[in-house]
Amino acid sequence: MAAIEVSDLCRTYRTHVGIVRRRRTDVRALDGISFEVEQGELFGLLGPNGAGKTTTIKILTTLLLPTSGSVRVLGFDPAREAGEVRRRVGHVFGGDRGLYDRLSALDNLRYFADLYRVPVREKRARIEYLLELVGLKGRERQRVETYSRGMRQRLHIARGLLHDPEVLFLDEPTIGLDPVGAREVRETIAGLRDQGKTILLTTHYMYEADELCQRLAVISGGRFAAAGTPAELKARVVDRTIIEIESFGALDGVLDRLRALPGVISVSTEQREQAEVILVQSGVGSELTHSLLRELDGIALGKVIAREPTLEDAYVELVQTA
Amino acid sequence: MTRAFLSGMWLHVVQFSRNPFDLSGVFVWPILYASIAYYLLDAKNDPKLLLSASLGAAVMLMWSLVVIGSSNALENQRWLGTLELLVAAPVPFAVVIAPICVASGVVGGYGIAATLLWGRLLYGVPLTIAHPFAFAVAVPACMLAIGMLGLVMASTFVLYRAAFSLGIALQYPVWIATGLLVPLSTLPAFVHQIGWFLGPYWGFRAIRAATLGSAPWQYIGMCVVVSAGYLVVGAACLRAFVHVARARGSLKLT
Repeated sequence: MAAIEVSDLCRTYRTHVGIVRRRRTDVRALDGISFEVEQGELFGLLGPNGAGKTTTIKILTTLLLPTSGSVRVLGFDPAREAGEVRRRVGHVFGGDRGLYDRLSALDNLRYFADLYRVPVREKRARIEYLLELVGLKGRERQRVETYSRGMRQRLHIARGLLHDPEVLFLDEPTIGLDPVGAREVRETIAGLRDQGKTILLTTHYMYEADELCQRLAVISGGRFAAAGTPAELKARVVDRTIIEIESFGALDGVLDRLRALPGVISVSTEQREQAEVILVQSGVGSELTHSLLRELDGIALGKVIAREPTLEDAYVELVQTA
Repeated sequence: MTRAFLSGMWLHVVQFSRNPFDLSGVFVWPILYASIAYYLLDAKNDPKLLLSASLGAAVMLMWSLVVIGSSNALENQRWLGTLELLVAAPVPFAVVIAPICVASGVVGGYGIAATLLWGRLLYGVPLTIAHPFAFAVAVPACMLAIGMLGLVMASTFVLYRAAFSLGIALQYPVWIATGLLVPLSTLPAFVHQIGWFLGPYWGFRAIRAATLGSAPWQYIGMCVVVSAGYLVVGAACLRAFVHVARARGSLKLT
């Protein structure tokens, strides 16, 4: 039996606009997604903002009811058997909220241990073990308001593991962390994966998904775009070359001209410090550099690099074509 | 569940005690309430009436602290980002929220002591307690009855954030309907009957009877009865409203 089974899951939010003439608007956050996560697997859920990742996690952790479709966590239905699911899963979300700031880490963990029904005899040892695991031993009596963002995030993970859940949901756990803090959190997650914990991770960071996840699913606009191992997803763009061009000027209208060039498969941009980097995907062997530079004549350019595709390129391709 | 309840109560009292702004309010308010008791009835020559008014003012303060505490309870958890974690805990949600309301009642217990003490120090209000043992039982019974009424109110705040303002506005009608502000004999009979359903009505009478020397135990018993009623209603409302919030998706972190 799979640890998590999601089949044709839909979720619609209803909002009302206007005061006198109330108009109802339905927003479809999930539109029939399906996937399975095996026991002991670290499964990644990728997608842009608003794709439906957090909605999926909230349904799986009993915080939201699905509009339609079927969901099972360890064989239980989170909508009807919320108590059974809550006893067996842990939920950790990113950001620096979700803790009692004026209390110490130890006070926070003691309280949540009581809420999550950790037996009294095991509570102390469990808290000690988790503080050690997340690297907060020796700092546990400090108030949480004095913690760095990375320390708070590690405390979140300790809190999520208090009742030794069989399945752990991690919703963008490294968001907003500096590179060192994010690496420490990734190391903690990798340790949990190596212990055989079933983990569902959502993230925006492709290198994180590539480093940690055994399988991935990409969702976009509430719909399922693709699933597979990181290598399988990368293989979708393996027959391509990526040309990166650093630019320092307005690109209005230029991108459409680049897209129209023969041999160009897709064009996207990303901001890197002062530069806007144009990412052009083309087939292997296409010699496009000269044509691209001709179209960009008059715009201040920096480095131009041709490289092999990464998981991020595969992700961008999947999201753009979904 | 008892452990979760006690642990929650302790956590919220400590959390409250570490906010300098809240603490300064709890220090200043009893002086204001003691002054109300002294000047409102102008009963300087009737020590028994003065003490009774002082007790009324103390219970008014307790109700205010609880109504503000329970109105704030869910909004604070939303603001801290802990609400979804609390809802997702395997214990019933009432066991999570009730300690917050009772913790406000515990702070209100301090409010009673402080109001009586300031009344004594500033205005010479007599502090003679006829039945000390009954008084020691009546104060926690009053805290429980008022705290549990806070639980019923807090349950509606799961669905409606604006209910917070309604909760604050409820301070004054309850003061009046329970005879804390003015004697019920001066009000229409139906107000008296409304008071029967309100925890502060029985809590105030239990404390007053224990202090002034009449029979307090029937009122203490009523505190327990209404507390049990509030617990049942509050727990049922919380369960139902959390279900509606899960369906609507209104348990947001922000």
